[in-house]
Amino acid sequence: MTTEHNTQPVIEAANLDLTFQTNDGPVHALKDVNLTIDKGDFVSFIGPSGCGKTTFLRCIAALETPTGGTLSVNGMTPDEARRKRAYGYVFQAAGLYPWRTIAKNIKLPLEIMGYSKAEQDERVSKVLELVDLAGFGGKFPWQLSGGMQQRASIARALAFDADILLMDEPFGALDEIVRDHLNEQLLHLWDRTNKTIGFVTHSIPEAVYLSTKIVVMSPRPGRITDVIESPLPRERPLDIRDSKEFIEIAHRVRDGLRAGHSYDD
Amino acid sequence: MQDFAQEFMTALSLILSGDSELLNIVFLSLKVSLLAVFFGALVGMPLGAALAVGRFPGRRALIVLVNALMGLPPVVVGLCVYLMLSRSGPLGVLQLLYTPTAMIIAQFVLVTPIIAALTRQTVESLDAEYTEQLRSLGLSRLASVPVLLWDGRIALLTAFLAGFGRAIAEVGAVIIVGGNINHVTRVMTTTIALETSKGNLSLALALGVILIAIAIAVNAAVSLLARGAAPQRGELSHA
Repeated sequence: MTTEHNTQPVIEAANLDLTFQTNDGPVHALKDVNLTIDKGDFVSFIGPSGCGKTTFLRCIAALETPTGGTLSVNGMTPDEARRKRAYGYVFQAAGLYPWRTIAKNIKLPLEIMGYSKAEQDERVSKVLELVDLAGFGGKFPWQLSGGMQQRASIARALAFDADILLMDEPFGALDEIVRDHLNEQLLHLWDRTNKTIGFVTHSIPEAVYLSTKIVVMSPRPGRITDVIESPLPRERPLDIRDSKEFIEIAHRVRDGLRAGHSYDD
Repeated sequence: MQDFAQEFMTALSLILSGDSELLNIVFLSLKVSLLAVFFGALVGMPLGAALAVGRFPGRRALIVLVNALMGLPPVVVGLCVYLMLSRSGPLGVLQLLYTPTAMIIAQFVLVTPIIAALTRQTVESLDAEYTEQLRSLGLSRLASVPVLLWDGRIALLTAFLAGFGRAIAEVGAVIIVGGNINHVTRVMTTTIALETSKGNLSLALALGVILIAIAIAVNAAVSLLARGAAPQRGELSHA
């Protein structure tokens, strides 16, 4: 081990701008965003709607094209990284094909990428295990609860070997009890797979509980107002949320959100 | 009423005895319409998919046109194809008028817009729902089209069957370009029109029964397939 790969940032944004031209004039979705994400980081993006958190994630995934600045993913442009299948993306809606079973839904990327039948089956059972859905492969999406559907969609993003997992408010539509459970599972999964995760949320406890790095953003123009390196250990039981450190970080996030938000609007 | 019951019984016995004239007419009908729909799908499905995912000038106008052509009056299509194929028409040298081929051409013109329009609707909604998912899996826009088509194949079969339902049931186009010649271009619908006017109601009724049976079978197939394509809807209807 002469070279230390871990120091190489996975995602690097410098002076990133994204301006949408609308009939009411330009909208600055992102303005002067600078951020470095290292390998194995769990980064949450938090802020009120319109702060550009989802837009930034979509830029990383090459689903949006920045209008200024530079953005690199695994040392490539986002679109090169997309074509090299550098990331798995979990959308807000599970987006499962209703006519495919859960196992067949998870196979979709594997079919596209030309994995052999045997390897497809092997990978499907592996990721179903990872998201705690073993035995549900033969079910159709409508036979599963919302939380289970979202887990299946995470399994689909994990089925191929992307080092980066991008998640856009994956648990936003779920109730808090289910959400707590899924957050705990997500941390286990992150711990076992050592993936780099970008996670958009508007829940302060969720962001603090999950992240090694919390990016606080604010709107008009969409920008980063604070980046918090979490002092919490990697191993996090749910009751860590009652600890002093946790509450302090949550405070700092809340202050950042308040400072960036103009209530005069 | 007495008459109707009697004619109906005769009609049933014609069907059950497998009357050879009746069978020939049914087979010709199926052959003409299936071939028309087959070629209609060859043209209509790629056209519909292109309209759904393509971005080119005039796309909107083309969509409006294709949708409007879904309701083409068969007699008008028959007339136009007749003019093209008649001895003095631009394609007169082919001598296709009053042949089954002419009937296939006329029905092809009728069903292609139907298949194209339904394909466009299907692919467009699939595209809206799944295009970013496929993009995030590394696919280009062009490469995502066959994936969408393959996963939408059951919905696309619905478009095919809708075209078939239209073709098998129409009379106006085939009677003009086919001429309703006995043993050559006589199909179910044209026979019904002719035999009814001659007063031979039992043969007309027998064909009518078969035609309706085919229509019901096609619709049942469409509904079963649509249910297979989206099982959650079927499930909701039980509740």
